[in-house]
Amino acid sequence: MSEGDLTITIRGESVTLLPERAMLWNSRKALLIADPHWGKAATFRAYGIPVPSGTTDEAIGRLDRLVKRTGAEEIIFLGDLLHARAGRSAEMFAALGEWRRQNPELKMLLVRGNHDRRAGDPPAELGIQCTDAPYDMSPFVLHHHPQPSAEGYVLAGHVHPGVRVYGTGRQTERMPCFLVGSDVAILPAFGEFTGLANIEPSEGDAVYAIAEETVIPISTQA
Amino acid sequence: MATRKRGGDGLNAAERWFESRGWSAFSFQREVWKAYLSGESGLIHAATGTGKTYAAWWAPLLEYLAESSDASCAIPRNRTARAARKASPALRVLWITPLRALAGDTAVALMQPVADLGLPWSVETRTGDTSQAERARQSRKLPTALITTPESLSLLLSRNDASHQFTDLRLVVVDEWHELMGTKRGVQTQLGLSRLRAICPELRTWGLSATIGNLEEARNSLLGRRQSCRRSRIVHGVEPKKIVVDSLIPPVIERFPWAGHLGTQMVPQVVAAIEEGETSIVFTNTRSQTEIWYQAILANRPDWAGTIALHHGSLDRKQRDWVEEGLRTARLRCVVATSSLDLGVDFSPVDRVLQIGSPKGIARLIQRAGRSGHRPGAPSRVTCVPTHTLELIEVAAARDGLESGSIESRYPVRRPLDVLAQHVVTIAVGEGFVPDELLGEVRDTEAYADLPDDEWQWVLGFVSNGGSALTAYAEYSKVVCDDAGRWKVTDRAIAHRHRMSIGTIVSDAHIAVQYLRGGKLGSVEESFISRLRHGDRFVFAGTPLEFLRVRDMVAWVRRAPNVQGAIPRWMGSRMPLSGELAAALRNRLGEAERGIFRGEEMQALKPILEVQRKWSHIPGPSDFLIERVQSREGFHLYFFPFEGRLVHEGLAALFAYRISRIRPVTFSMSSNDYGFELLSADEPALDEALANGLLDPANLIDDIPASLNATEMARRQFREIARIAGLVFPGFPRSGKSARQLQASSGLFFDVFQRYDSGNMLLGQAHREVMERQLERTRLGLTLQRIAGARLVVTNPKRTPPLAFPMLVDRTREKLSSEKLADRIRRMQRALEKAAG
Repeated sequence: MSEGDLTITIRGESVTLLPERAMLWNSRKALLIADPHWGKAATFRAYGIPVPSGTTDEAIGRLDRLVKRTGAEEIIFLGDLLHARAGRSAEMFAALGEWRRQNPELKMLLVRGNHDRRAGDPPAELGIQCTDAPYDMSPFVLHHHPQPSAEGYVLAGHVHPGVRVYGTGRQTERMPCFLVGSDVAILPAFGEFTGLANIEPSEGDAVYAIAEETVIPISTQA
Repeated sequence: MATRKRGGDGLNAAERWFESRGWSAFSFQREVWKAYLSGESGLIHAATGTGKTYAAWWAPLLEYLAESSDASCAIPRNRTARAARKASPALRVLWITPLRALAGDTAVALMQPVADLGLPWSVETRTGDTSQAERARQSRKLPTALITTPESLSLLLSRNDASHQFTDLRLVVVDEWHELMGTKRGVQTQLGLSRLRAICPELRTWGLSATIGNLEEARNSLLGRRQSCRRSRIVHGVEPKKIVVDSLIPPVIERFPWAGHLGTQMVPQVVAAIEEGETSIVFTNTRSQTEIWYQAILANRPDWAGTIALHHGSLDRKQRDWVEEGLRTARLRCVVATSSLDLGVDFSPVDRVLQIGSPKGIARLIQRAGRSGHRPGAPSRVTCVPTHTLELIEVAAARDGLESGSIESRYPVRRPLDVLAQHVVTIAVGEGFVPDELLGEVRDTEAYADLPDDEWQWVLGFVSNGGSALTAYAEYSKVVCDDAGRWKVTDRAIAHRHRMSIGTIVSDAHIAVQYLRGGKLGSVEESFISRLRHGDRFVFAGTPLEFLRVRDMVAWVRRAPNVQGAIPRWMGSRMPLSGELAAALRNRLGEAERGIFRGEEMQALKPILEVQRKWSHIPGPSDFLIERVQSREGFHLYFFPFEGRLVHEGLAALFAYRISRIRPVTFSMSSNDYGFELLSADEPALDEALANGLLDPANLIDDIPASLNATEMARRQFREIARIAGLVFPGFPRSGKSARQLQASSGLFFDVFQRYDSGNMLLGQAHREVMERQLERTRLGLTLQRIAGARLVVTNPKRTPPLAFPMLVDRTREKLSSEKLADRIRRMQRALEKAAG
């Protein structure tokens, strides 16, 4: 673990919130990742909007560092792995395939999100098991949409949560965050080219903001 | 008859027409007609309502009369309208107007002599408001004279038969050029005109303008390099009438009136002033003020319901038309309006003009004053109504500026690559281009006359492979080069999206406001609507409304029973104080410092300025005042350059950066037209900073970009650039799922370019625009030179003195920090917990 990580307990399970915009489920050694939106930049290019490439390489690099430093044995994607059908570029899959060959032992699971339905599943060579949401993994229910479930505590994405923090001197700062509620936790979007949506925490929600390399608990009543 | 000289008899036709209407032609009009007929282009400047339109319009009519024999000129009596249109001459005159709202009125004015003379011309408009059926008809054949906007001109150029359509074009008139020339729409117009000149080399260009400080530059930017060098002239129209400026002085000047705005306390006096006149226009500076004042006047005089109205750019076209008609026919007693009524045809019955708040500029005051007093010999009068008491200084200063004739200049935009990229794609969507030929046209414009080769090559790369050969983007192509060396857009979907997003006016996405039962009210920025929840009430178009829901880019509402509610705030509507007015204002403060209070405004302000003197200091034109105040919020530093908000925003970032270099600190910044505030949680090292060259005009080249990187200014500026360059799309109706996959904010683009394509020239443009346009680097440098030579006065008042108070309540805040983000958040957290504990 590194200095910027923050470990909390949800339903008796120890999970670590990582500033690389991922969550580590400690007992299972599983990395949870929401909303990578791979191929989003390529989708734009395919439609005649010039966006530079590089975001995929960055995401793979970040994923690689995460796996190495946490010793994770499994990666669970909480939906929106691929952005759109038009963004399924050969180049991207080649880079992902290369990384996969270097990490053949990793288990990978995709719980499909709304984008995955249109974009399609990743190629079989990547060895990612795909399933529809919700997917039970006691005590958690893995989902893309943050909807409470009777079956267990929901881990989800979809929202790309961001939080605005206010301080003295009327300072404000907007950051990606984790939102941990009583029945649902929402993970930040892993993808870099994705944007933030401001969340409004309810009573009892805990918010953990990612301030560069550090995860910081944010008090929401002020 | 066969030997009739060009212009000779025709000129008489114009004179006869003027006589038939009881007018006589002005000599400046004759000057334009003769110049035009001999092949000249030029710029006409004159006050509103003095015959500029007919000066330009009669020129091509006279030319036509001279060219046609009597036989071909008359319309056969028994023709149907459709047949007449079909037989009308091909497009000869293009009339470009900055506001589509003006197009209809212009068409009426232009039709008048055409109808009286029985000419076979067709005169039509084409704007965003034009119906589908009419567009289709115009696609088959354009009318003889077409009134259109810069955006619609670009759309015409994006057709694949563009040059065929323009072959007989003789004249382009650009109306209200002073409004366009300082904007990117002005650059878009320059590029469009240059394209037209390439299609028809004999084309003449005439601009109509209000009087501004730099008419030569206005002419040159309109005509382009070659045409300016050939025969062209500036024609001076009728001298403006004498203008009287007075103010409504608040009945009681409290000594502490600055806590909040005077707001609508002035309503009874405004109502009394409206009662004095027959028909009044009440101008405000923002659309939200328009709504507020309309409500306030109506609440004061409920019996005026139906005879007062409001007018601003977000209202539905139908409602605006109704209001304008009401002004012309004197059916309305009073209209509360924004600059949406600054331009355009005359509203003769208007005999009283009120200006709510400072006019912020001398030219603007003249423009608005000119809306009144069309009786011969009567002066134009404008009555200023302060929204906070300090604004009275600005009124006094504006009168000084008017008397000394210091009218503001409009500075043209230089080399915006986003507009160029859009234009290049527009031509590629249409007939396509050969790069060297297009470069020649582009460089003929004033805006791109000094366009370097590498920037041109970059733009070509940006629209074709995403950058230079080395950084080419995979899977990307927009414009492709065919075998013959012609660059074209071949993908129909790309062409369609480009046409949909042509335009350079950038605003927040707009959402239509509509009753559940169907009536349309206008449109509001999405950012306002997104803050509303079901059942919330707000006031729009003068009507209390209840918000129900948003669906398909429409905010559905129903009437609410009362007027309690939020007024929408619109983006970018605040004008900064002009440099000319700022200088006049410093002189007035200088008089006050010496104990001279000239005129009723300054007399009224005396008690407040005396408090300023007692608590701190009245800064004269050769002083630079800094006030240090401590409050529960933290440590406030107030600086008073009196140079207008834009300059202050730049100076605030620069000073914050320079102070924070001495000791890490986070500042919140706030600026207004008088000065700016730096607020911090810890005491800033002001004295050390002053000793270390805080006010030094040197090192600006390094310090400004450094302070910019720390702020978000460039990132924000990128919003506009991303939209114009075609990266971000406005929401269109029926855009469907594929468009939703293409949604990303300009901020995301900025970050991704910054990280993965830092050579992208649009990033450089964002920084340049912030430097030159937002921060006015030149003016910033001059300001610092002035400050460096000024007498420095630092005071430590116990409470916030009057001049600083408006900044305390101001809302626009920037931030500059030299602390690590995580440290800063932790400290913000600690302070919050302490406060809660």
